[in-house]
Amino acid sequence: MTNAAITTSKLTKRFGDRKAVDAVSLEVPTGAFLSIFGPNGAGKTTLLRILSTAMHATEGSVQVAGFDVREQPDDVRAHIGLISHDPMLYPDLSALENLMVFAQLYGVPNPEQRCLDLLDAVGLKHRRLDVARTFSRGMTQRLSIARALIHDPEVVFLDEPYSGLDPHAVDVFDQLLASQREGRTFVMVSHDLQKGLQLCTHALVMAKGKVVSFQPKDAMDEAAFAEVYRQTVGAGVA
Amino acid sequence: MASKPSAWRQYKILLAKDLRREFHTKDMITSMGVYALLVLIIYGAALGQTSSSLDVLQMSGGLLWALFVLTSLLGLNRSFSYEREAAALDGILLVPMDRGAIFLAKATSNFLFMLVVEVIALPVFWFFFLANTGLPASMPYVAVPLLLGTIGMAGVGTLLSTITAATRGKDILLAVLFIPLIFPLLYACVTATTAVLVGSVDFMDAFFPSVALSAGYDVVMLLASWALYDFVISA
Repeated sequence: MTNAAITTSKLTKRFGDRKAVDAVSLEVPTGAFLSIFGPNGAGKTTLLRILSTAMHATEGSVQVAGFDVREQPDDVRAHIGLISHDPMLYPDLSALENLMVFAQLYGVPNPEQRCLDLLDAVGLKHRRLDVARTFSRGMTQRLSIARALIHDPEVVFLDEPYSGLDPHAVDVFDQLLASQREGRTFVMVSHDLQKGLQLCTHALVMAKGKVVSFQPKDAMDEAAFAEVYRQTVGAGVA
Repeated sequence: MASKPSAWRQYKILLAKDLRREFHTKDMITSMGVYALLVLIIYGAALGQTSSSLDVLQMSGGLLWALFVLTSLLGLNRSFSYEREAAALDGILLVPMDRGAIFLAKATSNFLFMLVVEVIALPVFWFFFLANTGLPASMPYVAVPLLLGTIGMAGVGTLLSTITAATRGKDILLAVLFIPLIFPLLYACVTATTAVLVGSVDFMDAFFPSVALSAGYDVVMLLASWALYDFVISA
């Protein structure tokens, strides 16, 4: 039994003849924060979609939170949360109603109290009865964090979570993430090298579906890593 | 620690979510209701040259079901649009649950919204076009094709609107797929409804086989839609 929150072995995803993810093998330790970088079309989001059960791999194996993504998708889903640039909320329901739907679907004990606690944590308790459509982008993203954490997941995936946020909202989002790090594993796809390196414990660069570089931050020469990233992005789209 | 609720419980949560959203916005019922009213106005112009209500009676079943199909198409198109609007459906798909519960909840809410509009439109249609003919004794039987037709349209329509919601030409694509697929049901419901509205002594001769065909269609198509839904929604 390994201490890995995520393990992939020769993970491959083909769309026709094109390999969006090409034989990716990774081991992400429990409690790590993995930042995934790469140019558009590198396969980052496809990898994230496979890890979060939204897409099947063509070949290879994936385990998340100790469960096989293909064989035990419901067990994986019970242990993961996803924060994307899309809020994954119902704009015509209130903040509390949105969270209640997800809390009840996950079977969270004492769902209303859990929702109120999370709304408090993301600074939206005073707006709990307002419909999500009336929220700013930053507030929507905070509500999205509460939705993703409603069932206390062990692994949280972040797909370009800073997209469209103003600097203040970025700061608030950072503080929220920092407050939720304890005991969780994070995997974030980002184009923002500085932000990704600031948050991560491990960093991965992908290009044309392959792993170009994967290393823990404490063993990393950040300048050399940044150069690898620049060369990869400069080499163009897959 | 969260424990996965039963599929029945998840079905009820999703259905309550749809009803709560409609209660807030009145979006589906208002738009379908207004559309039904506009179709009735067009019928008024189209049938303005008929000499009496009796001329309309023989085609009343067809006119009613044309109205129901058109308004249902509008509602079905909307029902998945708002699921996709802020990628809310992607959030639901991350929850460990039987995809069949998603189908049944959405089909039930679509059924209820369609039924509300039909229950409003039917007496309005009668008032404008058939008021002089008097109510036939067989009138209560109209509920049977109404229910069976609406169940079938909601079931098949929910599956098809899931398929078409993410496509570029979803409005026309849904209609192109929906109308041919429900044609047997439509034909049976028109026959049964017309038999009830005309109300002749031997109306059961046409009514019963049509209702049996509608019920059979519903069973087969609902089971097929439910079985296919996991594949369709995960694609």
